[in-house]
Amino acid sequence: MKKAISLLILMLVLFLAACGGSEEDTSSDASGESAETASSGEEAEESAEPVEIEFWHAMSGPHEEAINSFADAFNEENENVTVKPVNQGSYDDLEQKIMAAAKAGNLPDMAQSVTNVVPEYIANDFLVPLNDLIEDADVGMSDEELNDIIEVFRESSSWDGTFYSLPFSKSTRVLFYNQTMLDEAGLEVPATWDELREVAAQLTTDGTVGMGFENSFEAEFQGILKQLGGTYIDEETAEAHFASQEGIEAITFMNDMIDEGIARTAGEDSYMSNPFGRGDVAMYIGSSAGIPHVGAAVENGMEWSTAPIPELDGEKATTFAGNDIVLFNQSEDAETKAAWEFLKYLTSEEVTTEWAMLSGYLPVRYSAQESDEYQSYLEENPAFKAGPEQFDAGFFIARVPGGDAVRNIVLEELDYIIQDQKSVEEGLTSAQDRANEALQQ
Amino acid sequence: MLEKPTWKSTLKGFLYLLPALLILIIFNIYPIIRSFLMSFYTDYDYFNDIVHEYGFDNFIAIFQDPNFITALKNTGIFVLGVVPISIFLSMGIAVLLNNKIKLAGFFRTIYFLPFVTSVVAVSIVWSWIYHSDYGLLNYFLGWFGIDPIAWLNDPNYAMPALIIMSIWKGLGFNIIIFLAGLQNIGEQYYLAAKVDGASAWKRFTNITLPLLSPTIFFVSIISIINGFKVFDEVFALFNGRPGPANSALTVVYYIYQKFYEEWQFGLASTAAFVLFIIIFIFTIIQLVIGRRFVHYN
Repeated sequence: MKKAISLLILMLVLFLAACGGSEEDTSSDASGESAETASSGEEAEESAEPVEIEFWHAMSGPHEEAINSFADAFNEENENVTVKPVNQGSYDDLEQKIMAAAKAGNLPDMAQSVTNVVPEYIANDFLVPLNDLIEDADVGMSDEELNDIIEVFRESSSWDGTFYSLPFSKSTRVLFYNQTMLDEAGLEVPATWDELREVAAQLTTDGTVGMGFENSFEAEFQGILKQLGGTYIDEETAEAHFASQEGIEAITFMNDMIDEGIARTAGEDSYMSNPFGRGDVAMYIGSSAGIPHVGAAVENGMEWSTAPIPELDGEKATTFAGNDIVLFNQSEDAETKAAWEFLKYLTSEEVTTEWAMLSGYLPVRYSAQESDEYQSYLEENPAFKAGPEQFDAGFFIARVPGGDAVRNIVLEELDYIIQDQKSVEEGLTSAQDRANEALQQ
Repeated sequence: MLEKPTWKSTLKGFLYLLPALLILIIFNIYPIIRSFLMSFYTDYDYFNDIVHEYGFDNFIAIFQDPNFITALKNTGIFVLGVVPISIFLSMGIAVLLNNKIKLAGFFRTIYFLPFVTSVVAVSIVWSWIYHSDYGLLNYFLGWFGIDPIAWLNDPNYAMPALIIMSIWKGLGFNIIIFLAGLQNIGEQYYLAAKVDGASAWKRFTNITLPLLSPTIFFVSIISIINGFKVFDEVFALFNGRPGPANSALTVVYYIYQKFYEEWQFGLASTAAFVLFIIIFIFTIIQLVIGRRFVHYN
């Protein structure tokens, strides 16, 4: 008898434990749909007038406070609309919750979204195309207003002429440098990749590596590749072309620096801000969104600032990334209208200027960038200058469904290359083959 | 003593089980069936539940994916590395704690702390301990003249690092279970053995081990299942990467990548189902072996 009971209990436990793994996707399904969206839909139906909309985002700390203050200000201006910003955790959490909410038919009215994932949202029909709203005579944007949005952001928000998002928290790559170390060695901030290599070699000492790359240094790969005239992924045909001669040259350049010990990746430190702040690396290339983190990590009062990404034979190119805002199509018309109003508000000159100064993200409008307010802010915070300076050299990589799969593949193969498990050519060719396979699905 | 089962008593039994069964069916059995079905989706619209085509393509695809093979291999190494050491260590510590030593309660708390601490917090602390330049571990190893090891950057050391942390983390739970098992062993056996002049080692092998066998059996099944499911530790220790050069890519991590990062819902379900089958087979094997060696009093 006892034996039977123990066996039964064992089976039960086994069952519970074995289920645990596959349970994950469903449990987040459940939590995503429960409390968050229950309020939005039904209340609006009861009385036609007041509309409550939800805005899911992944901003925390001071950034979240800024968003809340924008929402409060907007709610005060618009009596009938109540915007409820909901912080969903990290970008990954946000994406997972959106996935779960979409499955449950409970998508919020609007959300922050990494540009790379927008093609998946489009492919699965989650989004409201914004063209009708933009062109609407009453609530739309004038051509002037639309063209005031920084060109590279406008382009990265539209697919075949259709706008599916508007830019919100955008960042670009910049070169961080330790002014104190440069001064001590009597060196200038490098303006070209050759100079960068030279400076990195000279700054490398016992405790310091001259140059640092983030773990996501595929962005630098894309930049150098572009400067060399190569193509990363062709957006039209959704084909990867990065294992070209140019691609090999770009990766060889970075890999050689790493092999020679004059460059390193963030590796176990996750991001370069901490090693840079400690003085373990003298320079690094990373996201301009990291500027506040570097500010917090800097020790011993060292002087530092940022510069544009180095040129190559006079060619400038730097990737712009970050988050846009999308509207989801599971909302009532009134809610979509309200969400559109809030989206317009968030991307207005006044708010984007304030947002840029509070968060360190780039302003999304030329008028905001040129405003006296922002310009005097740049004077006080010179580290933020390098970002907007590169607007004209900005580009973004092809946005295609499967883009995240390609990113995983490229990061993995680059890792094999810098760990010397594969040669540059082997790694890139394998990455390209696998990427093309993933893109065809 | 045992009542004969009647329709009425069976029904009554099921009534008692109903609350648990309902939860199990809704949150466990139903998702398992769904994910089993999903593993056969080859052409589908996941969000609208429209399936155009079923087939075995996903099974072929994952077994041709070198990453899935790597994931299987890494998971196997992880289980082999964690389970035996963890069981031996925790049994040893439990036996020591079961003696009437001073501060036993204090030590029990200490050993249990890692288990109740969040995996993410634990992983962050361990990523400091493992840091190649500033880590405690390399500092200690330095005393013995061992050169700094890039625990988290070197593909050869990433898995050992993960295993060490996981053993440490799981120790507390196993110790508590073993302690409970040890306290169920009647004092009279030990007294009788002592009267007969059995040494401490003899008492351990002839009394403790056989009477602890159901506990050992239970712990080993739970540990193996948990070992196969490892994910959080990898995600947190390597900061959202599957270790350097995929050296800590586990099956659940692979599922996560396919499902959440790459939107390959069919492939993810297939991988999850394969994992389920593997765990199922291992548990059956253990049950068969267990029947021969486990003594229930």
